[in-house]
Amino acid sequence: MNVWKHFSIAMIVGIFLIGGIAHATILENFAGQSGKIDIAGGTAHIPVMTEAAKRIMTANPDIRINIEGGGTGVGVQKAGEGLVDIGNTGRALSEDEIAKYGLVSFAFAVDGVCAVVNPANGVKDLSAAQVQDIFAGKITNWKDVGGTDAAITLYSRDEASGTREVFWGKMLKKGAIADSANIVASNGAMKVAVSQDANAIGYMSIGFVDASVKAPTLEGVEPSQDNAKSGAYKVARKLYMNTKGEPQGLTKLFIDYVTSPECTDIIAKAGYIPLK
Amino acid sequence: MHRARTCRQNSSRFCRQLFFDRLARILSCGAGFISLGTLAAIFVFLLVLAMPIFLEGQWGMILSMTWRPYQGHYGVLPMLAGSLALSVSAFAVAYPLGLGICLFACGPGPRTLRRGVMAVITFMTAIPTVVYGFVAVFLLVPMLNNAVTDRSGPSWLAACLTLALLVLPTIVLFLYETMRETEKRTRLTSASLGFSPLQALLLVVLPGSATGLRTAAVMGYCRALSDTLIPLMLAGNAPQLPTSLFDSIRTLTAHIALVVATDNSSPAFHSLFACGLFLFGMSLVMQALIRRKGMSAKPLGGICLNLLAALAGNRFCRALVHAWSASACALTLTAIGGLVIFLLSQSLPVFDMQLFFGDTPILAAIMGRAPVWDGIFAACAGTVILVALAVIMAIPAGIGAGVALSQYLHGRLGKMLRFSANILAGVPSIVMGLFGFSLIIFLRHTVAPEANTGLLLSAFCLALLILPYTINATAQSLETLPEELRLLGPSLGMTGLQSLRRILLPAASRGILGGVVLSMGRAAEDTAVILLTGVVAQGGLPRGLLDKFEALPFTIYYLAAQYQSADDLRKGFGAALTLLALTVFLYGGARMLRAGLENKWKN
Repeated sequence: MNVWKHFSIAMIVGIFLIGGIAHATILENFAGQSGKIDIAGGTAHIPVMTEAAKRIMTANPDIRINIEGGGTGVGVQKAGEGLVDIGNTGRALSEDEIAKYGLVSFAFAVDGVCAVVNPANGVKDLSAAQVQDIFAGKITNWKDVGGTDAAITLYSRDEASGTREVFWGKMLKKGAIADSANIVASNGAMKVAVSQDANAIGYMSIGFVDASVKAPTLEGVEPSQDNAKSGAYKVARKLYMNTKGEPQGLTKLFIDYVTSPECTDIIAKAGYIPLK
Repeated sequence: MHRARTCRQNSSRFCRQLFFDRLARILSCGAGFISLGTLAAIFVFLLVLAMPIFLEGQWGMILSMTWRPYQGHYGVLPMLAGSLALSVSAFAVAYPLGLGICLFACGPGPRTLRRGVMAVITFMTAIPTVVYGFVAVFLLVPMLNNAVTDRSGPSWLAACLTLALLVLPTIVLFLYETMRETEKRTRLTSASLGFSPLQALLLVVLPGSATGLRTAAVMGYCRALSDTLIPLMLAGNAPQLPTSLFDSIRTLTAHIALVVATDNSSPAFHSLFACGLFLFGMSLVMQALIRRKGMSAKPLGGICLNLLAALAGNRFCRALVHAWSASACALTLTAIGGLVIFLLSQSLPVFDMQLFFGDTPILAAIMGRAPVWDGIFAACAGTVILVALAVIMAIPAGIGAGVALSQYLHGRLGKMLRFSANILAGVPSIVMGLFGFSLIIFLRHTVAPEANTGLLLSAFCLALLILPYTINATAQSLETLPEELRLLGPSLGMTGLQSLRRILLPAASRGILGGVVLSMGRAAEDTAVILLTGVVAQGGLPRGLLDKFEALPFTIYYLAAQYQSADDLRKGFGAALTLLALTVFLYGGARMLRAGLENKWKN
């Protein structure tokens, strides 16, 4: 009995100690460091990057972390050209990109991409074929998919977007996207645009979905991160940070921090499923 | 012995003065060539980076109707059409409005009302483009969506109306100036012919203001063509040929801003520089058009005269003209009033220290000891530093060039340099941004592989953008000085430099300062340049000249497109009001300085 008591106390203390050390180690690694990290690329990553930067910079004012969006294409190009330290991508790099720039990838979260409509829109479910036809410009009125009689306003992303590439490849099966689609520059901008336009349809990272937009079910499957992780919802990707060659110094610390268990709360709060 | 030394001293002093005089002359003449050099550099850089298209025979690919880079289609014709469609339509709205307002301002209406209208128009020049865009996103677009049931979202129409409002003051101020001069000159003639005020305006003043009509048209159109932010924020950016006013369109300027961050070796990237070249060429042609000899002084054509005569001759038509000019004023006042009231009503409730500093202690934030997370302090500081840097770079060169143009360089060369300064003033700011961006690419591939976009590059590009304002202000202020002052220096045996330093520049200082302050306002509001040269949404205070930075106009643009919470949106409104206050303050200061100078020499 006594042995058990001692053992369990030792266990509890041990767990706290390990937890405490683990907590201390990663964020404390930044102590005494100075310098800057430039980050650009995927816009789905921005909430995670900003929150991580906030924690690091609040504890260590000598470190500067700049965060830019621009989209996956920008992340690849800027990291590849050495213009930034970390280039974020919302998809895995292609063979060409790795060969051309020598980029190394670090995945930290799973994220689905889903079609979104305005909350005022009555449409609750869409089939894959319907989504493809809507974005190809073949279905142009909401009444054809069970909604009210109103013209559909399409919203798409620019060519640098990884979200666009995933949605186009896995959802639209590389079919056409109508030229008449409005173009917005980020996941955040997509949410704003769709929330302001009653007849809108767009697509974005599931992590960005909140009450201001509505994600109709896809052939009955709810587009949620859990379904994306389990594979029930197919239009999913991982979120990556990429560096040119193996990361060094501050950049390495930052990547270690974001991929550590310590950052899982940030990632979960941003609406993604952490990989750790 | 003593006397001889003094003599030698005197002569060496004289030599020194002569040397300084020569030096100043050479330096300022050198500065005079900066604008020409910049134009040449922009042209060469754009041409070199667009070259792969010419060399690899991808010309046909660029000149096609489809822009789908992911399928290998790089056609920019839809953007070309979009640029033309948007600028022409905005111009078609703005020009008649501007004409109506000028008729009202020169007409027989109550004096206070006319002055009030002109004051509002002058105030409009101080409203930053991004503030127009921001308010339009949250006021005009929802209004249009409610008014029209079968279409929604951003549209050609929304961009067109906002752009018309943006270019309106340019048109009105150019035209009003000429019309007022003509009116003064011809008042007696009109009265002796027994014309009513409106008849005098239509039959005498307008035909006599042909120069103003043309200059206003070209300047207004250039402004509409070269704007980036309004189409980027409001037109939807779909790369298609528009078929209705409610369609989404993409202009060349917005296209450059959207696509610039792409693979440096792709045809898409090179095609952007072709777009830049086209915009550059357009502004060149436009400027050449109004400065061509004889063209601007040519009287109005027969059709216009007949039309004006018909308007003035028929009582019904006269009533119509009256109604038009009154309603043009009413429309503009309503639009601007709505804009200001909407902005104030949204931003005043949030306008406090919290807006600027969030939860960070104010002192710590200002000293740079603690980063500000939920406030616009870093953006404000970024804008102030950026403007200060740009002005520091632009002032010496601008004043030097202005002095050279007014004092030293005459004849053909002087004319050419003046022309180049005017063309530089007309270069669209997105092209200037593209130039800065290509400068970095050039540096990275040659002498400085570590070169990167940042504060210094942005300030440099902004300095080039505002340089013509400083040049023109200096040259004009020096040229309008009374002849006595100009002769005073030489008559006292002063060298050119001495006369300039002790007499001419101090006398013209208010006008020069006015030009500098005006250019500060211009630098503070520009977004397109910094968009391409190193601004970031989240970066804190810059710690060095090469750091990335935040800036108010970009923050406003960014928050308009992607605010993530009600707090973010309020921050956007607060930032818009802050920027507006800053530019109004600067433009107001510039006007007061100018007015002070005018009064000084008139009385």
